[in-house]
Amino acid sequence: MDFTFTEDQLLFCESVKDFLQGEVTAESIRKSWDTDTGRSSALWAQMVELGLTSMLVPEAQGGLGMNELDFVLLAQECGRYALPEPLVETVLVATPLLASLADNDPRCASLLEKIAAGEVMIAVGHAANNLVCDAHVADYLLLPKGDQVHLVAKDQVVLVAQQSVDPSRRLFSVEWQGNDETCLASGAEGVSLLAATLNRGALGAAAQMVGLAEQMVAMSVQYTTDRLQFGKPIGVNQALKHHMANCAVKTEFAKAPLYRAAYTVTQDPARADFAVSHAKVVAGEAALLAAKNSIQSFGAMGYTWECDLHIWMKRSWALDKFWGHAGFHKNRLHQWLLNPNAKIGAEMTFGEQV
Amino acid sequence: MKLNFSAEDELFRNEVATWLEENLTGEFEQLRFRGGPGDEHMFPEERKKWEQKLAEGGWTCVGWPKEHGGRGCSIEQQVIFNEEYARAGAPGHVGHIGEGLAGPTIIAFGTEEQKKKYLPGIVAGKELWCQGYSEPSAGSDLANVKTKARLNEETGKWIINGQKVWTSLAQEADYCFVIARTDPGSVAHKGLGFFLIKMDQPGVDVRPIQQITGTSEFNEVFFDDAECEADDIVGAPGEGWKVAMGLLGFERGVSTLGQQMQFQNELNEIIRIAKDNGANKDPIIRQRIAKAHTELKIMRYNSMRMLSAQGGSDGGLQKEALIYKLFWATWHRDMGELAMDVMGPESQILDNGDYALTRLQSMYLFVRSDTIYGGTNEIQRNIIAERGLGMPKEPKVKA
Repeated sequence: MDFTFTEDQLLFCESVKDFLQGEVTAESIRKSWDTDTGRSSALWAQMVELGLTSMLVPEAQGGLGMNELDFVLLAQECGRYALPEPLVETVLVATPLLASLADNDPRCASLLEKIAAGEVMIAVGHAANNLVCDAHVADYLLLPKGDQVHLVAKDQVVLVAQQSVDPSRRLFSVEWQGNDETCLASGAEGVSLLAATLNRGALGAAAQMVGLAEQMVAMSVQYTTDRLQFGKPIGVNQALKHHMANCAVKTEFAKAPLYRAAYTVTQDPARADFAVSHAKVVAGEAALLAAKNSIQSFGAMGYTWECDLHIWMKRSWALDKFWGHAGFHKNRLHQWLLNPNAKIGAEMTFGEQV
Repeated sequence: MKLNFSAEDELFRNEVATWLEENLTGEFEQLRFRGGPGDEHMFPEERKKWEQKLAEGGWTCVGWPKEHGGRGCSIEQQVIFNEEYARAGAPGHVGHIGEGLAGPTIIAFGTEEQKKKYLPGIVAGKELWCQGYSEPSAGSDLANVKTKARLNEETGKWIINGQKVWTSLAQEADYCFVIARTDPGSVAHKGLGFFLIKMDQPGVDVRPIQQITGTSEFNEVFFDDAECEADDIVGAPGEGWKVAMGLLGFERGVSTLGQQMQFQNELNEIIRIAKDNGANKDPIIRQRIAKAHTELKIMRYNSMRMLSAQGGSDGGLQKEALIYKLFWATWHRDMGELAMDVMGPESQILDNGDYALTRLQSMYLFVRSDTIYGGTNEIQRNIIAERGLGMPKEPKVKA
């Protein structure tokens, strides 16, 4: 039994954190809001250069052959810096879906090589989300139709932009017609691929929300230390300390279920529903509480467009609803837990679903 | 990361399970699922005998190093031991304060003589301990200790005077570890000593406090010229606070494992009742059960995470350890409410006229103390904000 990350995993995370800290700032995010695509091809090229897009691409397709557990800390950092680029969805959602099909489908194998090389971008649709993120910068879309998974080139779809409350997010409804040619999988295989896709999407959202929550708490702690009223920092007041302590509890304790979920998705993806839903629920609660208590701590300033806090708050509110909202995941938890065969005894520390 | 147990560990599991199956029988049968928090006053004599039975099998102090009489179990084995112990419904350890707190503190900070004098009694399950920290005017402000310790130059003994309060299991204990002021002019955490005091002596008076459960687990302990030997002080005079805080680290380490398994037993009892009486059909109850279960999972995962990060060493509190007390206390209090809501109006009815509470009724009332003792939720939040997050400290009021 070992519940820690390896030295390599931690070092890689540190270097990516340094990179994001240098390249992705509140200022750069605000600038991106005013551009056509909202995305920076130069930044994407840097991430390709660092090997980030090739992490989960199998070695056979020129990737690093790593897994979801290797990436989960990085996804957390993407949240911390509110990265607008679709790195998490590319690595954690699109890539493993293509990798599951690559052995029998040369199209998927070829796309994986191109993802690793930074030559294509892929957007993923799912029934859990009514809109597709970043479809405008994608070359191909992976789209569900009933029990089928289709691969459709961008010129075969019509995108209708839907403006998001979070100005960093670019969302689209997609009009498309699949055919036998575009269908990659169907029936039981399609159902299981789509279920695994949902779990990886939810895992990625959960990881980002933990990072978002930590960043909001860090910003609020700084603000309440600097801001003086009655001649002393407002942060000396227990009312504000307790707001922040409650956030710290939620956030710190969302990490163990998050890492547990990443582990289970890696080891036994077919039985990861419980662990993933657990992670998504608690990470969502952590991010929403951090948003609520942070804006309260910032006072009126936090309600302004000028204050950077809303970048993180709006991302949290969006991700909490994406890849299954809290109600969806809570229902999965109690349905599993209260079924007659649930393994919930005192001896089941790691018993349930791996 | 590797979240399962090795084949060797599973063999150890069989060994624990088999021993419990063979020994938790006969006179000990009645102890199953008894003696936990809120139930500490039950079956003290039988539980002392059980403690010695455990000792015979080598199942006390399983995590202590072998050189100090422990079993030298790895973290994995300790997890498994606690899992199987709870699964069998084996009773709450009446010796847990010695095994979990006094012993590890003496191992970490004590002299060779102190180790020889005190550890064997704990390992044998024969000598029980209690904790003399809180006082009438040292509650949240724990360092405001008034109890005094003075070295009598003639007899060479320490003389202790003062009062402790909320002392669990003092009525059963053979020894008490006491923080007392060795430097008469000192204030706050400076000038304290950490003493090991025999309970059975004329200068020590234990008075039970009746709780809202109608029973008495907590006590007041009065020291009126109580004595201990010159070398019954752990650390130097004036260094007691360091030792006292080191001890709190043990409270949040390995000893959390047993507590969590016990929580799981309580929760599973609630789930069983819900399935029996149909409360499990209620959507709100279902959500609350799921919340309780998943939050307990968080505690268990987090202990694993913390312990594997430390490689089993038990010192040095990390950020998540600061958070733990607030989390489990709040969780347990909420679970008490859940238990009563699952039982519905029946939860308010006693079985007979002697104010005899059922196990869950007793738990429901007892958990009201969880968010208060060992540092209130409010104090915990201050500590998390100031020490964990680095928020500005409140200016100290000059005395």
